[in-house]
Amino acid sequence: MEKIQGPFSNAAELALAARHEIIKMTSVAKASHVASALSVVDILSTLYAESANISPSKLDDPNRDIVILSKGHSASALYSVLALQGFFPIEWLADYCKNDAPLGGHVTFKGVPGVELSTGSLGHGLPYGLGIAMSRKKSRLSGRVFVVLSDGECDEGTIWESAMIANHHGLDNLVVIVDRNKIQSLTFTEDTLKLEPFADKWRAFGWETEEVPGHDYQALQKSLATQSAPKCIIADTTKGKGVDFMENSVLWHYKSPSTDDVTKAFEQLSGNY
Amino acid sequence: MRDTFVKTLLKEAKKDPNIILMTGDLGFGVLDEFQKELPAQFINSGVNEQTMMGLAGGYASTGKRVFVYSIGNFPTLRCLEQIRNDVCLMNNSVVVVSVGAGYAYGSQGYTHHALEDIAVLRALPNMDVIVPADPHETVGITRLLTSTKNPSYLRLGKSNEPAIHEKEIEIEPGKINELSSGKDGTIIFSGSVGVVALEAAKELASEAIRVSVASMPFVSRVDVEYLKSAANKGPIIVVEEHCYRGGVGSAILETLSMNGITAQVALVASAQTNLSQIGDQEFLRNENGINTKSIITKFKALLVS
Repeated sequence: MEKIQGPFSNAAELALAARHEIIKMTSVAKASHVASALSVVDILSTLYAESANISPSKLDDPNRDIVILSKGHSASALYSVLALQGFFPIEWLADYCKNDAPLGGHVTFKGVPGVELSTGSLGHGLPYGLGIAMSRKKSRLSGRVFVVLSDGECDEGTIWESAMIANHHGLDNLVVIVDRNKIQSLTFTEDTLKLEPFADKWRAFGWETEEVPGHDYQALQKSLATQSAPKCIIADTTKGKGVDFMENSVLWHYKSPSTDDVTKAFEQLSGNY
Repeated sequence: MRDTFVKTLLKEAKKDPNIILMTGDLGFGVLDEFQKELPAQFINSGVNEQTMMGLAGGYASTGKRVFVYSIGNFPTLRCLEQIRNDVCLMNNSVVVVSVGAGYAYGSQGYTHHALEDIAVLRALPNMDVIVPADPHETVGITRLLTSTKNPSYLRLGKSNEPAIHEKEIEIEPGKINELSSGKDGTIIFSGSVGVVALEAAKELASEAIRVSVASMPFVSRVDVEYLKSAANKGPIIVVEEHCYRGGVGSAILETLSMNGITAQVALVASAQTNLSQIGDQEFLRNENGINTKSIITKFKALLVS
């Protein structure tokens, strides 16, 4: 079967291709965070294939939409999606984490087209996105700012400081998408530091808040389409989504897939990528 | 110094709408005029320095020059990683502005004393650390900072610092400004503590010891040529209102070492003997060894050796 090539205008096709690349690159690089990447990849695919006004030809456009992946440890997901969408050569993925390679284990802006902010320390992406959104609103520029957070990241105080500021300044050009996979570094989020009632918290901070199935492209797209205030989309996701032995397991926050794991994983990913 | 800074910034910001002044809810009575005259270029983000600094980075990334204003440790140590990652790493056009250098907030206590900030911010890549000595230097340096784009740290005193230059001076990045010239040695200082250096020089002069006194505002761009000639002349005393670890003296010693310059150097900085001691700026400087006596004793010791 012929391999489907990017760029994709269909989130499902982009996500399927990206899942293959994520599993390959984390295995080859013996890198961590494969499950975090599989958790967030449908959100990123929806943004880059459908919802966000951003493409390689628009990188200098001051009205382009901005996507910030604040959970920088999911770099393999963002890099796969950007490569498949033509922001940089797909061959770069094979060198992920190698000496002097362009792509490393946490999202890095330097020399990587499409990356707006280097991340890896949690709680930085939202304040930064807030700054862009605030400046654009004052300058009457049209693009929106999408910041993708992990749920564990919402332990950080900067998230809630930002939530207050965005509401106070009426930033209806700012969208937070929380990858709510319910697992953080050492264990489940609710056993670490309770986030629930999570949606109520965002609502109490004045955000238009929706809880959406996080692997449902139509639902994500619909939620991303409109806003009249700062918007928080809590995307209900499964860590390790798409590969049964990686799903909902704390272990796969760190473990890197072996060659056997890759074969087994690929058998489970349907479709012709 | 802070009033001079804000006044100068306002003047420049009226000409350039890309200049933004951001505060973490401080500057009562100091920032009012700026806020009133240029509301679109003023942001009070609230009491949230970490978020404010990240916000400043993002804001600057849209083509603005963002001045982030607060007291001493708040826009520096409190949000260090945001400065490191969102400003320095991204090379965003942000100027961190702190007021209350050293013991300027003396009786307000140690939380308000800025004594480690130079060391910490000087360690960051891409960061230009600048410490003006008086209102005249502040004018030129503020103007300079409105026309450049690199991440910078402007460490200001508070209010009513005496002018040590007779008039406004031409600011040249990386250049040490000599106030008086003497053949027997040099006292280099950064910041409003220059008054102590000048006083010490006067006392030495009464004993027929003539020293040069020089202000070094550009802490992260040390004037190597000046140091070379100072080292040839005699002892060098470095005076700063900061702890010994990693401050202006360290910057000078590193520069001497990296350039293979041999010199007789002694540092006069805060001994930090009692962190919780209360008192005004002059009292705390004196208690912590930043005084004419330390300067003179250390200078004479080097002169004899």
